[in-house]
Amino acid sequence: MAVLDRPEADVPWITLVWNDPVNLMNYVTWVFQTHFGYSRAKAEKLMMDVHTEGRAVVSTGTREKMEADTEAMHGYGLWATFQKDD
Amino acid sequence: MARAFRRKGGRLVGSFDAEEISVVTHVLRLTRDFVAPERPDSGDPFLDLVAGLGDEVDPTEPSDPALARLLPPASRDDDEQAVEFRRLTEHGLRQRKAATLATAIAALEAAEAPRVELDLDQARALAVALTDARLILGERLGLRTDEDSERLHEELEQALAGEVELDPALAQKMAYYDFLSWMQESVTLGLMAR
Repeated sequence: MAVLDRPEADVPWITLVWNDPVNLMNYVTWVFQTHFGYSRAKAEKLMMDVHTEGRAVVSTGTREKMEADTEAMHGYGLWATFQKDD
Repeated sequence: MARAFRRKGGRLVGSFDAEEISVVTHVLRLTRDFVAPERPDSGDPFLDLVAGLGDEVDPTEPSDPALARLLPPASRDDDEQAVEFRRLTEHGLRQRKAATLATAIAALEAAEAPRVELDLDQARALAVALTDARLILGERLGLRTDEDSERLHEELEQALAGEVELDPALAQKMAYYDFLSWMQESVTLGLMAR
């Protein structure tokens, strides 16, 4: 079976949310549920990852989508960044 | 004495002293003035569009650390990406934050103490508005880590119990921060309730 190089356009991008001492745990969970439509359980798991690991990948997709997610997170007062998933 | 928001169908109902409502409204107004775009809109969408075309947003990170936290860089290691993102998004982000704060302020101004009743849009606006206010206060109080946050809470508890003396201006900032945190927790739990 041939192994193909993945074209550049297919490399996914990710949005990261970083821990901070101000945002409340319930609020971060609510933001993940509201913006991404995640279940309560998934949103809580991501919130705990941010809290304990210092950051978590909250979404994956095209660069344009990750830019929109980052901008939305900043609107909610969460600190997000986006980058290529490498 | 404040009573937390509770969900009643499609509304959130809480109870606050007139003074508590007025303090929160005041802090939210200061927050809106702090974060609103430096070039205000004329109210005419066509004029605003034309005005925006020749008017570059300063793409460097704000020098005030509280404003830098409200409008954070979208990359921690790629300055070029962060600058480009800021150039494209900062004006709109500041407009949206100011509009959200205005919705929250109007909702609190319309309240007749002690009853504060919010529809879900107003409750969402208040939760987000309180975040921006707390981010500014938190920065002014030097909160950089979770440990800072715990230490602040302990100091305030000790001051309230009369165990330690605090600078009055600092104690007031801490008390505001604590009250806004409590109110935000209450409105968030109300939004999450089924």
